[in-house]
Amino acid sequence: MEINALFILWIISGLFIVFESRLYRIIIYFGIFSLISSVVYLFLGAPDVAMAEAGISAFTTVFFIIFVGKYYGNQTNITREKIEINQFFRKLKGITLPFVFCAGLFALYIYTMPDTAASTYLKEWYLSNFISDVGGKNAVTAILLAYRVYDTLFEALILVVSVVAVVHMSHFSDSSVSDGHHSEIENSGMAVFTLRIICPIIVLFGGYLVVNGHISAGGGFQGGLAVATFFICRYMVYNIYDISVKRVMQLEELIFLSIILLSIIAVFLGAAALLPTAYLPMFQRAYLILMNVFIGLKVACGFFILFYRYIAFERR
Amino acid sequence: MIILWIMFVMLALYLIRVLKGPTIWDRLLGMNLISTKIIVVIIVFASLYETTFLLDFAIVYALMGFVSTIFIALFLSERKLGRKRGKK
Amino acid sequence: MDIQSIQYLIGNIVISIGIAFMVFGVFGIFLLKDFYPRILVASKIDTVGMFTLIMGFVIRHGISFFSGKLMLIIIIMLILNPLVAHIMARSAYLSGYEVAETEIDDGERETTLKEN
Repeated sequence: MEINALFILWIISGLFIVFESRLYRIIIYFGIFSLISSVVYLFLGAPDVAMAEAGISAFTTVFFIIFVGKYYGNQTNITREKIEINQFFRKLKGITLPFVFCAGLFALYIYTMPDTAASTYLKEWYLSNFISDVGGKNAVTAILLAYRVYDTLFEALILVVSVVAVVHMSHFSDSSVSDGHHSEIENSGMAVFTLRIICPIIVLFGGYLVVNGHISAGGGFQGGLAVATFFICRYMVYNIYDISVKRVMQLEELIFLSIILLSIIAVFLGAAALLPTAYLPMFQRAYLILMNVFIGLKVACGFFILFYRYIAFERR
Repeated sequence: MIILWIMFVMLALYLIRVLKGPTIWDRLLGMNLISTKIIVVIIVFASLYETTFLLDFAIVYALMGFVSTIFIALFLSERKLGRKRGKK
Repeated sequence: MDIQSIQYLIGNIVISIGIAFMVFGVFGIFLLKDFYPRILVASKIDTVGMFTLIMGFVIRHGISFFSGKLMLIIIIMLILNPLVAHIMARSAYLSGYEVAETEIDDGERETTLKEN
């Protein structure tokens, strides 16, 4: 009941984005929109997605503000093409309107259908078997790391590929950053002091999310994002660019290789069958924790590289 | 519980502030306030249903919500977006 | 009255005090005309109101794992919220949004206020 009010706020904040034309404002509206949407995901019963969305919202707003700052510099009124409401509906005329019409009809059809239970045998099978098959207490982690591990490998590959693409396509020379200082922003002493206190807490909490991922909500991706925010804080404290991106990239590819090897040994070859049954729960737990730790490290490295590249990219 | 409704009304008011605010820092202020109110909403839900694991989300929002706010503020401090008082 | 009902009563009173702080803060945000008074009020909502409200929940739940996590949230909020308010006010000041000394003095007189 209370959640419906949250839905209305969610939709309103989405409409803010559509009918706004100034870019700085759009970024702030987008931050609000993704904050509210992550709470909505949480209360609709998808805690892992909600936690991932919380991290992603922080990173997307940071990336967007970097882009806008880099490309438009000191211009004050940056606008995109303004959308009036009339114009908005005029644009809908072509292909979009029949598409929306068909989608509405389809939704109506589904809504008026008699209540026949959809076949959920797969879900029930997962829920009844995952504790004995995979171990752990979080069914999402079980599906992610054991039943659908092939998908997870490709998702990990997507992050690696995007990092490689960003690193190779952005203009960047090491000589421009050799003096260290990268920003004209002077941090106040208070901010530096406080961020130094908060940085270890962030790393600790990210480690907690990663290691605890098979028991409660969280996991590799979410914990990796939390660890990666540590690097943003570190940049804000020291204002320098002193970590070699190349080394971190090698580390990330090494971790990716070890993820593939681990999943091949544990899932595809079925190493659990070789063990005596007494050791099976220990092996399963070790597999889940190791896999989560590797994925978390990889995500942290990947987002760290993206952030540093965007910060250093064509700095004026 | 009545706290939830008060929080939702406050969220709506902050959204109005964000939409109306004359400068960009007012909007930023509204964003920060909304993120903290969301933490309160999660704590109230966790207290209603006695679920401890929901509090993890509150910690995540507390630790991650501030990063984007501080970063936007730091980036804006370079730019001269300010509305000079004399020209008003 | 057993102990738990007294706990609940004290907790509810503390929670309603926190809510009162927040509501007055909202009034301030809408009534004040300038950004700097507004951020003063807003930091009051975030730190004092949040602190009191979460302390109410801690009292309600007694000594348990739940209130331990709540204490962690309180510590994080007490560290972070003043920092956020400070950085926002600082960025507004640095990028040329001037501080008004009085309401009448709206001209281009230079302000004597300095950051830090």
